[in-house]
Amino acid sequence: MGWLAGKTARLVGESPAIAAALTAQGAVLVSEGDCDVLVHVVPAPADIPAHEIAFEQWRATLDAGLDQRFLLAKDFAAARRAAGKGGAVVFVGAPEQALGADQAAAGGGLGNLTKTLGVEWARDGIRVNTVQTHERGKTLGNLVAYLASDYAAYVTGAVMGVGLDD
Amino acid sequence: MPVPAHHIVAMPPPFDAPPYPADVFAGQTVLVTGGGSGMGLAMAKAFAQGGAEVAVMGRSLEKAEQGAQEIAALGVRVHAMSCDVRVPEQIAAAFDEAERALGPISLLANNAGANFPVLAEDISANAWNAVTRIAIDGTFLCSSEFARRRIAAGLGGAIVINSAQYIWTGFPGDAHSAAAKTAQATMTAKLARDWAPYGIRVNAIAAGFFPHATSTAGRSEDMTASLPNMIPAGRPGSIYEFGWLSALTCTPLLGGLTGQVILQDGGESLRRSLRNPDFIPPRERVQGPWGWQ
Repeated sequence: MGWLAGKTARLVGESPAIAAALTAQGAVLVSEGDCDVLVHVVPAPADIPAHEIAFEQWRATLDAGLDQRFLLAKDFAAARRAAGKGGAVVFVGAPEQALGADQAAAGGGLGNLTKTLGVEWARDGIRVNTVQTHERGKTLGNLVAYLASDYAAYVTGAVMGVGLDD
Repeated sequence: MPVPAHHIVAMPPPFDAPPYPADVFAGQTVLVTGGGSGMGLAMAKAFAQGGAEVAVMGRSLEKAEQGAQEIAALGVRVHAMSCDVRVPEQIAAAFDEAERALGPISLLANNAGANFPVLAEDISANAWNAVTRIAIDGTFLCSSEFARRRIAAGLGGAIVINSAQYIWTGFPGDAHSAAAKTAQATMTAKLARDWAPYGIRVNAIAAGFFPHATSTAGRSEDMTASLPNMIPAGRPGSIYEFGWLSALTCTPLLGGLTGQVILQDGGESLRRSLRNPDFIPPRERVQGPWGWQ
């Protein structure tokens, strides 16, 4: 086995379970430069009622959960095109409706961005998928490793959770 | 048009390299409804590649037996049965028969379905009832029969449901299936919630087009040839990658996965442009290149 044997993967953000699964499936983790796989993990923002969310938190959630994700994926796709190779992007974050209005906006935007980029870059051989979940354990790691691998070659633009409350 | 040569088409590993060990389902039995052909047969083969014994259920015993022969060639025990998944008593009897032949059923793949393109005004009550009840009632009845047995045994299990990529958009020209496949997907989340306390997981695949011997691609002769370039991924799905994802959701590798509907359609349902070809009501395109008569 080794879903990701021979592939390089860049994991942006903290997730020991995802790092472990990518490595266990044969990927070589890299911290910069061109790579086959981009996994972008953003931690859940604080759960605060909408009328109490400071503008700074609002902007920070949208920046981390949406803007930075798009810009990073755009750079990744450009590098892949320049290399003449396909690739896979997996976004990982909190569920859309489980937290505050900031996450509801960022999560929803990310979901439809995923569907859009999955089609826009399909013929570059670049797939884009998103997992929005509370889960942090082995199932998340394995699901992300699957989505990053050629076994998911026909999965793109998919937005999913892991557990019942995702 | 063929896919232009400068486009990159993502391809899966070959059939003989499944994404899980050959013993991941060792000692377990899967029941696959509609498992004698097409997507159900692909599911059954994928479970067999993980070492599961396979009970193949079909309306037609002959078709179930033909599929079972192909599955047995992968080195697992099989049992073919005839059953109408709209009839609770037949389902209970089929589960009894399968468990006598192969042992307790711990995995269930709901695939049984009928589908054919037809104008809404031409769908007879019989056709409506057949398509919706095989998918909706059949999935509910087989899943609940499975769950009652697992709960009584104090054991968990996993269920996977074959849904479709058009469940979020509607499917003009396929009203019965549009309703039926969405009902399967929406019951997935609720079944998962009801049975989580018993360790039974339920997930669905919103499957795109995976050509097989009995699939419908439209009437024009070049329809199959033109399929690859119609789909963002640059190809229709290979039927075994659908089988693999279905089986993978039932493995311990994804042991925390439940209540999910996973889209696997190569981006087909997500195509959209600022401008599209003129809208033609299904009634007026039945005879045309996108028609089916």
